[in-house]
This record gives sequence, structure tokens and C-alpha cells, in this order.
Amino acid sequence: MQREIIIKELNEIFEDIIDEGTVFLIETSTSKDVDGWDSLTNIQLVVAVEKKYNIKFTSEEIISWKNVGEMIDCILTK
Amino acid sequence: MEFKLDENYNHEFTVTLDVYQQFQLCSNDRNPLHTNVDFAKSKGFTDKVMYGNILNAFLSFFVGECLPIKNVIIHSQEIAFRNPVYLNEKLEFEAKVSGIFEAVNTIEFKYKFTKPDGKIAAKGLIQIGLLQ
Repeated sequence: MQREIIIKELNEIFEDIIDEGTVFLIETSTSKDVDGWDSLTNIQLVVAVEKKYNIKFTSEEIISWKNVGEMIDCILTK
Repeated sequence: MEFKLDENYNHEFTVTLDVYQQFQLCSNDRNPLHTNVDFAKSKGFTDKVMYGNILNAFLSFFVGECLPIKNVIIHSQEIAFRNPVYLNEKLEFEAKVSGIFEAVNTIEFKYKFTKPDGKIAAKGLIQIGLLQ
């Protein structure tokens, strides 16, 4: 249930930051699946996610994420 | 990391005649609010209103010249104009480090420009990246 809430919240963050229409994230989504998710917007996304959950990631964690599901895994460990 | 949370940076800016004219040339904006005293007064202002986006140029100076390091790039900036700025007004600029995002080498500042009468001319947020 918690993962469903987080993915819904991430979806809102992605839509706000990327601003290229509707985003539909699933656990296996990667940057290739989302128009406008590039290296610069990725920085904005990370900043927005850190602010949303009041957490801090490390650069190693970010590099290790293969998809949105792994980002959620990381959020849940904080 | 060269930056600390809540660290303050201060600078004084003035929209001089030279700055005003150079910005007009650069933007090619000759809207009467900025160029015609009578028009500006008819809209309730006391003089020609200086271009708000001159303050964005001041923000460029802040990021490019006032920070302790030069390897910086602006990711985004937001500005909200609160009160008009007039020619030769001295503006106190204050920026505070409001966020440090080390994982993505990003620093966020909250800033404000304050007029001589204490009113806020503009305020906002700048996000910069630290170039590797």
C-alpha cells in the first residue's frame, strides 16, 4: 500500500517538474519511458523528492537506481 | 562542500541610468511604463518603473560573481515582483542557502531585494548546479 502511495506522489512530482503532459509511472519505468526525463530534469526530480520526503540521497544511490521501483526502495529505507 | 545551510550572502545593487539604458537596448522593450513618466504616473506609479528583469540580471551577477566558487551554473530561478523599483534606488540584496542537495551537486538559495523604504522589491528562489 505504501508503495502505491509513493508512486502516486512521485507521479505528481514528475508531472510538475517535467511538465510535458500526463505521466504514468510504474515500478519498471525508466527515463526511456518518460518524455522529458533527461539528466537536467533528473536533478530537479531528485531535489523535489528529497524535499517531499525530507530525506537525503547519496550520489551512489541515485546512480544505482535502474527504475522507479528502485527509487521507491531507496525512499523506503530512509 | 563550499556552502552551508542558512549561510547568507549580501550585496547592494542600483538600477543606474546606464543599467536601465543597457537593459532597454538588450531587451528592446520600450513599453511606456518603463519609458514615459506621464504614462507611469497615470497608472499610479511615482516615476518610470524600472524593468523587473533587470533584477534577473543582478541574480546572474550574484551567481556568477558573488559566490565563493566559479564552477556554477543556474538550473532554475523564480522571481516574484512585489514593489516597483525606480531609477537610482539602492537595493539591498540578501540570499540565504535554503537547500543543499549533495547527491546532485545542487544548491538552492532564497533571495530578496529590499528597497530603501524597507519594502520588498522582489523575492524568489534560485537553484544552481556545481560543475564538476
